[in-house]
Amino acid sequence: MRGNWRRDAILLVPGLGWLVAFFAIPLAFIFVVSLGTRDQFGGVMLDHLSLDNYRRALEPDFIPTVVNSFKYAIATTILAILIAYPMAYFIARYGGRRKALLLVLVMLPFWTSWVIRTYAWMILLRDNGVVNGLLGVVGLGPFQMLNTDMSVIFGMTYGFLPFTILPLYVAIDRLDPDLVHAARDLYASGRGAFIHVTLPLTMPGIVAAAILTFIPTMGDYVTPDLLGGAQTTTIAKVIQNLFLSARDWPFGSALGFLMIVLTIAGTVAGLRFLRQEVIG
Amino acid sequence: MSEPLRNRHVRHPMTRRTVLRGMAGFGTAAALGGLAAACGASASPAPATPAPPSGAPSTVPATPGASLATPSPVPTPVPSPEGELFVYNWADYIGEDTIAKFQDKTGVKVTYDFFDNIDTMLAKVGNGNSGYDVTFPTNINVGPMLARKLIEPLDHSLLPNLANLGPEWANPAYDEGNAHSVPYMWWTTGIAYDSAKVKTGLSSWKALWDPQWSGKMAMLDDYRECFSAALIQLGFDINTTDDAQLDQALALLQQQKPLLRTYTTDDISVLSSGDVWVMHAWSGDVYQVTPDRPSVKYFLPTEGAVRGSDTMVMLAGAKHPVAAHAFINFMLDAQVAAANTNLIGYMGPNEAAKQYIDPAILADPTVNPSPEMLAKLHEIQDLGADEAKYTSRWTKLRAGA
Repeated sequence: MRGNWRRDAILLVPGLGWLVAFFAIPLAFIFVVSLGTRDQFGGVMLDHLSLDNYRRALEPDFIPTVVNSFKYAIATTILAILIAYPMAYFIARYGGRRKALLLVLVMLPFWTSWVIRTYAWMILLRDNGVVNGLLGVVGLGPFQMLNTDMSVIFGMTYGFLPFTILPLYVAIDRLDPDLVHAARDLYASGRGAFIHVTLPLTMPGIVAAAILTFIPTMGDYVTPDLLGGAQTTTIAKVIQNLFLSARDWPFGSALGFLMIVLTIAGTVAGLRFLRQEVIG
Repeated sequence: MSEPLRNRHVRHPMTRRTVLRGMAGFGTAAALGGLAAACGASASPAPATPAPPSGAPSTVPATPGASLATPSPVPTPVPSPEGELFVYNWADYIGEDTIAKFQDKTGVKVTYDFFDNIDTMLAKVGNGNSGYDVTFPTNINVGPMLARKLIEPLDHSLLPNLANLGPEWANPAYDEGNAHSVPYMWWTTGIAYDSAKVKTGLSSWKALWDPQWSGKMAMLDDYRECFSAALIQLGFDINTTDDAQLDQALALLQQQKPLLRTYTTDDISVLSSGDVWVMHAWSGDVYQVTPDRPSVKYFLPTEGAVRGSDTMVMLAGAKHPVAAHAFINFMLDAQVAAANTNLIGYMGPNEAAKQYIDPAILADPTVNPSPEMLAKLHEIQDLGADEAKYTSRWTKLRAGA
């Protein structure tokens, strides 16, 4: 049955319209601006378009920040999944009547502004902060925790963890427990059942969680700004600087456009890989 | 989303510079605002100069500088101000009852709004129809705003209190003869340190390059300020456009970067929290934290330092030009200017106000440097297209390994 696709295509209109208005058109706008030049007041001149900004963007100067961005995004994604998977598993399996409540608790941090929560981490992690204070009681430290790679990864993981938990929860919740029981009945060990049944069947959830964590982490500049330091510059921070402080919108747009393309390409490649290698 | 944080220093002058430039929602809003402003500026012609209200004589722009030499060219008759006025100032940057006093004196009803980020202000007034009459750009923004036809010339005959300005403010580099702007307050950029941790006397910019404080130092996340710190050490002009000099400055900053804990957007709080011991800082911020942290000290390096100022301007399209002049003139009154300084802890350019300023503020070298030091302070100027020479090197510095 193919259904009446002509009639059902109407269902696409709101979503497509939204994407065109708020993604495709702005993206085209960014691309056009990226071909222009900066005028002396930080405006955009479009009288002679060229690819110069892209040539500049591909200079080796930016490699360290791109490496930083990928490093943080990959570490955050892995850490977040390692934390989120058992948690989502527990909620889905043993949440019972309290599932809804537990999910609300997962979302609860969103009720407070992210910047305020990030500031709270600054207060906790600083040299004279709460964490070092507690470590001091048992005779350790103080350690420099703030303005390091660790604090950036930590802050990002904290910030994006709910995005990781929710898709994993959905995938695990949908998993028919009888399949696991069947595996156990057929003499699979607990670990065997997990590796051969639970994990492959929840892989789409893991992929969704990875994407939903990886992409915002790549674009995050608030966390590297507040929790990071002089050595933790990410490409998102460079782009933000170009827009707000240097006011070089064309060059910022070129870097931003490349970043979007790179992120989309990375995501698609990741999905392909998982579909072929893992899901089979 | 970051608004509550930005205003966390209630009643202190710090907020005018406590710009969390990187804040998510806010940054986006500013960027979108800037976009709107950019479009507006290119699409619509500059708004026409509003006609003075009926009964007012047409005002003649004064010759630049003339009114300072002859302080009271009293016009006859003095036009009466319009009934209302819209003022747009930095947050926490005016005396407590200054507005009330102005309203009592003139009968003009003032609507007073504030901003905490220059980009917000520029975005808002950038299309010429903001509805505000008077705003307070930083000196380096005066030239670009003028070029974009966002501000009107001032009629010095309506500003007799210009005579109160110190002579060094008569002819600032950013606005010849104060023809379009009047200086409001000024500050310096130097070095702040925690004297509880740093026992040796510091006197030079080299303190911020001292490996002794490695990992315990911060620079301001501001490209012109950082380059100025390097250029002054090298003995170059802080407004240089010479590529070789800028490359040397970049090399110096690159040498410093591994020693730094952070380029701070959170200004002085990285010092007052104890995370850094020595930092590049704005004087107003230091003044703000010293009551709670007396061990925080500030000095202007002997090689010289940076001074910046904010100005008062009348916006193009201002619907209440006479009231705007009356307000600017009122702000130049010696007692009013002193009351502003006494609350916010920034020195103004008002020589006549000094007799009314709290002696403790006048004696505080953080706020009021010695004349010898004053002579070594330089102002950052907007370099137009040449700003790109700084921003490209800054991007290189920040992006580098």
